[in-house]
Amino acid sequence: MTPIDRRLITHMNWGLVGFTALLFLFGVANLYSASGVRMEDGIVVSTFYQKQLLWGLMGLGGMVFFMLFDYRHMKSLALPLFIITMILLAAIPVFGKVVYGARRWLPLGFMNLQPSEVAKIAILIMGARFLSRSREPLGWKGLFEVLGLGLLPASFIVMQPDLGTTLLLLMLLGGITLFHGVKPGVLKTCLVVVPSLLPLAWFRLHDYQKQRILTFLDPGNDPLGAGYHIIQSQIAIGSGQLWGKGFLGGTQSQLRFLPEKHTDFALAVFGEEWGFMGCVVLLALFCLFLLSIFNTARDAKDRFGSYLTVGVFFYFFWQILINMGMVMGLMPVVGVPLPFISYGGSATLVNFCLIGLVLNVSMRRFMFKTS
Amino acid sequence: MRIQFEPEGFQPPRGGLILLQCIVAGLFFLFVVRFWYLQIHRGEEFARMARENRLRQERIYASRGLLRDREGRLLAENRPAFGLALVREDCRDIPSTLAQVSEWTGIPLDQLTAKFNQDRLRVKPFEHLLLISDMPFDLLARIENRVLQWPGLEIVTRSKRNYPQGELMAHILGYVAEANEKELEDDKDLNLGDFVGKQGLELVLERRLRGQKGLHQLEVDVLGRQLNKKLVQEPQSGENIDLSIDLGLQQVAWDALEDETGCVVAMDPDTGRLLALVTKPSFDNNAFAAGLSLKEWQALRDNPRHPLQNRVIQSVYPPGSVWKLMMAGMLLNEGVNPTDSVWCTGEVALGKQVFRCWKKGGHGRVDMMRSLIESCDVYYYQMSDRFGIDKIEAFAKACGFGAPTGIDLPHEKSGLVPSKQWKRRRFGEPWHRGETLNVSIGQGFTLVTPVQVASFVSALMNGGKLLKPSLLVDEDPTVRSSLPFTAAGRKMILDGMRQTVNDDRGTAKVLRRADAVMGGKTGTAQVTKLKMVGEERVRTENLAYEHRDHAWIATWGEKAGKRLVVVVMVEHGGHGGSDAGPVARRVYDKFFGSPPGAAPLAPAGQSAPAAPATPGAVSPGQPVQPVQPVQSVQSVQPGQPGQSVPQVQPAPVSRSAIPVPPPARPDQAVGAPEQPEQQDRQDEGLRTVPAGRSARPAGRDRATGRGAEAPEVEDAREGQHRYDPDTFDPDAATTDGRGGDDGVAPPLRRFQDVAPEDGQ
Repeated sequence: MTPIDRRLITHMNWGLVGFTALLFLFGVANLYSASGVRMEDGIVVSTFYQKQLLWGLMGLGGMVFFMLFDYRHMKSLALPLFIITMILLAAIPVFGKVVYGARRWLPLGFMNLQPSEVAKIAILIMGARFLSRSREPLGWKGLFEVLGLGLLPASFIVMQPDLGTTLLLLMLLGGITLFHGVKPGVLKTCLVVVPSLLPLAWFRLHDYQKQRILTFLDPGNDPLGAGYHIIQSQIAIGSGQLWGKGFLGGTQSQLRFLPEKHTDFALAVFGEEWGFMGCVVLLALFCLFLLSIFNTARDAKDRFGSYLTVGVFFYFFWQILINMGMVMGLMPVVGVPLPFISYGGSATLVNFCLIGLVLNVSMRRFMFKTS
Repeated sequence: MRIQFEPEGFQPPRGGLILLQCIVAGLFFLFVVRFWYLQIHRGEEFARMARENRLRQERIYASRGLLRDREGRLLAENRPAFGLALVREDCRDIPSTLAQVSEWTGIPLDQLTAKFNQDRLRVKPFEHLLLISDMPFDLLARIENRVLQWPGLEIVTRSKRNYPQGELMAHILGYVAEANEKELEDDKDLNLGDFVGKQGLELVLERRLRGQKGLHQLEVDVLGRQLNKKLVQEPQSGENIDLSIDLGLQQVAWDALEDETGCVVAMDPDTGRLLALVTKPSFDNNAFAAGLSLKEWQALRDNPRHPLQNRVIQSVYPPGSVWKLMMAGMLLNEGVNPTDSVWCTGEVALGKQVFRCWKKGGHGRVDMMRSLIESCDVYYYQMSDRFGIDKIEAFAKACGFGAPTGIDLPHEKSGLVPSKQWKRRRFGEPWHRGETLNVSIGQGFTLVTPVQVASFVSALMNGGKLLKPSLLVDEDPTVRSSLPFTAAGRKMILDGMRQTVNDDRGTAKVLRRADAVMGGKTGTAQVTKLKMVGEERVRTENLAYEHRDHAWIATWGEKAGKRLVVVVMVEHGGHGGSDAGPVARRVYDKFFGSPPGAAPLAPAGQSAPAAPATPGAVSPGQPVQPVQPVQSVQSVQPGQPGQSVPQVQPAPVSRSAIPVPPPARPDQAVGAPEQPEQQDRQDEGLRTVPAGRSARPAGRDRATGRGAEAPEVEDAREGQHRYDPDTFDPDAATTDGRGGDDGVAPPLRRFQDVAPEDGQ
């Protein structure tokens, strides 16, 4: 066991802890408002915010757990974890439980495990482990190896089908790869070739996925489904104007048909109630949060730790980008939650665990000789 | 674990660091601009849209498909129902509104409030929260105008399912009721308050009947006033479906059962379509559609006659003698010559057990045809002992027993064809030889559903195709498998059934009619569970008294190309011929028309023939009879070449020979106080035992009015009675449908005398 050392505490990234806590509390408050049912005689609040708090507490436990051991142990754990994840993913088509047409869950008896959540952590550690072996920018060979590493779990997850998680996995891996560096020639070729391959991917999509993209391009063509969500969430955010309608003041009238107003579209509720000022504060908070993760990546004492942190950085970055883009009508509707703001049990747990990982790296940046 | 050290002075890639900083900055500026655009630049516009124009969606309910019988008569329809709903968003003061509703309707306020609190988390504020789903017209008339003065209250019209036939069709149609939590979870097309099929065809055909909801988009102002309404999606009505049921026939079968507990199934043997499926007692499915109170539900559930049970497919009974149709087929397949006969003395002994025929004095010489006509048990005891349970099991399963028929109704039972493996699994005990005898006459562990019997008899009729029983008039017949009968075998069995109707000693005489070819087989199913051999013999009278037998009749009829199979089962009916028979008879009278020159059948359930002999008649304590060295076997035809000779357990004897015990051995019948210990049971054969009551077989024969030359007479009649729809013998037809025995053994007569196997 790592000896308790004062430097562990003093070197911890306290900024990150603070921003995380703020974001989480914003999220709970927003949930309180979003899941309330307005009535003339008051507000009935459903229990989502309580559940979210509970998950947050569990997440705190997970976060502390991920700080206890030296993160460098995970170098050797990366491969076993990756293999276990692959087994779990492969078990889904056989033992998986179908919910709403998607086979994503493994029934464990006492709970349902979603292996794609585990896969996020596994691919993050495995990617960091793999890329941190050398300092040379990747050539073709290295790039294909990374690609294979990502496609292995991604091909299982996309079949579930869960396009959001699949994209997140690949983009996360891509983020670390870009951070590591790719040979200029290779990079240039990729920038030309990959976009030209995208039309091919179109034919592999499910109908509802195609529909979402078409809807994004023209919300009017599906005024009842996703297009309706986009229009309504923009009306909600826009009507918040400069100062917003105040906490619990949102009429939510525009959100009434949003089944995901406490999950994927939680930001719309926030935007309506807190207005432009509130939104800029929230956005700034997210950016500061990302920058404090960035600080840890920059100051990390070894390459593995740095890459781990960068993986976490991209994990959050993509989710923020995709979710905000979706809610504000800049991107197609993809089921990606906004970290700490959207309701979601296992996502909250994973978020906190990953923060614990970053704190682990930050704590031990001067500790090498003692261990 | 050793931690690997990296060389000091790790520097993160410069390019990477710059990349991260850039994308964070990019993220910030992208969304700040977007927020500014939405909330400042277009803020006024959006705020106005939020304030003034609110879009609402309103579902348009699709009308559920109608169900009709084969003639187009309505079985399930929709009628408008007026409900009272509350829209929370428009309501100024919910508690006083609820109080007002309570005052109008007389429904206690706390009940209304409870309903409201329960539903409000599922119903969105702008949607209808249904307080009362179906208002009587006088209430509607009273409050219609006053509702307008209460913002938030609305009268909503929904369509409601109605079953004009009520309990007559309840088990077939099932019912609809509000979707429960689980159904709402599983099916995203459903909304709270939607009605879905819960039972019967309403459940099975749910997808086809439901249709698709439509959608209105409403634009309303802040006061909830409707500005405009746009049809976004047209509702699609559900499919109208015609059933194969003939309502007229159904009604006749229903009436014929009177107050009995039982069921009737009428099937078109060539398509498997059901023309009638009646089960009694029944329930009113309209009550389910309207919503049943807990009390009403409990009353139905706890009713000892189980009105909720569809007896045709969900109740399993021992088939009794009806089983012999299948057994005879098996014997034919195993190479038994139909003219091989057995001497029935009224009982058979196996070890300490005595297996009795239903007919006290015995039937005398019995060949296969006679065994069907008179339903002789001893014939099947003897024969089954030669072939064993494995053969019976395989054949019965091939005849469709022991497995669901696949009818399109939920919760169909399989019944049970017992086997050695089954018994070992179920009881951990080996199979006893005596149990094979019980199974051979459709008792013991054997259980079937009436629809299995109907499907089996239909297969005999239609050339051997076991069809899936169908309830839809336009459904193509589905052949599940083919019957393991030869064509000659089927003909033989059908002929036996025909003679059972037309022979003077036949048990199904009630069906006789001049204008149609009829066939039938009666049966009696013992209600009490078979006592394990050697378990108990005390409660004989009790059980016999409390549990009267079930009465079966499995029939077919053909007239001018119209064919029908009817199976009737009357619980605790007593006698197949006298209690179930008249029910079947009435169904045929409806289907074929009243027979010429026949007085209409008296209502069923009266003038029953002589009550079964009381069990006491054969109670223990009778004098022990010495075994008569009767040669009970008539080996008619020597083994045909190429035919396998079944080996009888005890000793290799000729294939039709039944082993006969050595002469002068004391009878093992119960009541014999001192009996020598049994020999190794495996060495023992079945022994025909002359009944203690009647002295000589010849006298018995005379008593029944048949000479000893009965078999010859049989043969003479053979050609006459051969199954042939075109040449029906009118002489045989009488209007006297009653009387005559029907193969019934009073309860436990067969088993009461079972001696403890391991007692001594």
